[in-house]
Amino acid sequence: MLRESSKATGEKYDLTVLTGTPGDGNIPYGALLVAFAEAVLGTDDERLLALQSEIRAKMGDAALVDAAAIVATFNAIDRIADSTGIPIEDSKAEMTADFRAALCINAFAEKRGEIADPRDRGPRG
Amino acid sequence: MITYSSTAIAVRADMVEAHNVAWGRVSRPGTWFDGATRVAIAAETRHASSCALCRGRKEALSPYAVAGQHDGLGNLPERVIEQIHRIVSDPGRLTRTWFDGIIASGTSDAEYVEVVGVVATIVSIDTFCRAIGMPLHPLPQPIAGEPHRRRPRTAHQRGEAWVPMIHPKDLEGVLDTEEERVLAKYWGGVLANIRRALSLVPEEAYAWFQLVETQYLLGKWMRDFANEYRAITHAQIELIAGRVSVLNQCFY
Repeated sequence: MLRESSKATGEKYDLTVLTGTPGDGNIPYGALLVAFAEAVLGTDDERLLALQSEIRAKMGDAALVDAAAIVATFNAIDRIADSTGIPIEDSKAEMTADFRAALCINAFAEKRGEIADPRDRGPRG
Repeated sequence: MITYSSTAIAVRADMVEAHNVAWGRVSRPGTWFDGATRVAIAAETRHASSCALCRGRKEALSPYAVAGQHDGLGNLPERVIEQIHRIVSDPGRLTRTWFDGIIASGTSDAEYVEVVGVVATIVSIDTFCRAIGMPLHPLPQPIAGEPHRRRPRTAHQRGEAWVPMIHPKDLEGVLDTEEERVLAKYWGGVLANIRRALSLVPEEAYAWFQLVETQYLLGKWMRDFANEYRAITHAQIELIAGRVSVLNQCFY
């Protein structure tokens, strides 16, 4: 979706920030929001508190609430995807093949013994 | 009842309402479990982070190399505790073989999906509380009653996922029952696999995506890049979503 957003708006986002490359990805407050997401999933409560304060000061309370809601949604939706074994859709696989390879995201599936790209499975019975 | 009045941060009213609806659902009889079991699943979801076996497995090169017993609360069968703890503590390394083992140990595929739905609800709302800096909500009191135990006959195993799912093609043509007509309204047309993942237990899927649409975006807003609907932009939303999914090693 970030890539679709980039195409639609004409902005050039740096998607490597998703896999931990430092920076803001050319998105306003990108580094702050990534650090916030990491802190929510981490265990350093003091760092999380500091980042919450920074978001409130720079972006406002409503932004903190909406950023929190996105972390909350995807921290759970990832678990639904992983525990039900749903594959990425064929159309999505085709659209995202290059950047999944570039960001080494296919390794997440391969580590589970899954085929990353459903188009490599051949016809289903 | 869930309230965010103890925090100085104003939480959107629709989010407060959605969280209350979700909390209420956890407490009521579901499709396969009664309210007491659903609340026990919720409690076990929270308890997973303090399990020594899960910590050991998380640190191991392979979680399957570490044997032992979970530090469970004792209110659920070990096979259900294993399912909950693994989904909470190490979801990125779940495998089809592990799933098959859970099913072979006596959990039905539909019960498995209902557990996933309850776990996801608790993980999501608890994560939200941590993210805005407030304590977790007390779990709800279970409401008495029996689960209805209806399996949608339109859900099939097509080899798409580990669990059977409803497919739009299952809902074409003349539909026999009111239930199928309701399902067709929800799952008719082409839909992403994530929208169908819990469809073996339709109520879990409906409820989960009501929560998602409130916390994230309505489906029709997701690709409306010309307008912004939240206090953060589409790009900021997807940046956070993408980073969380990478941290969770979620391929989907």
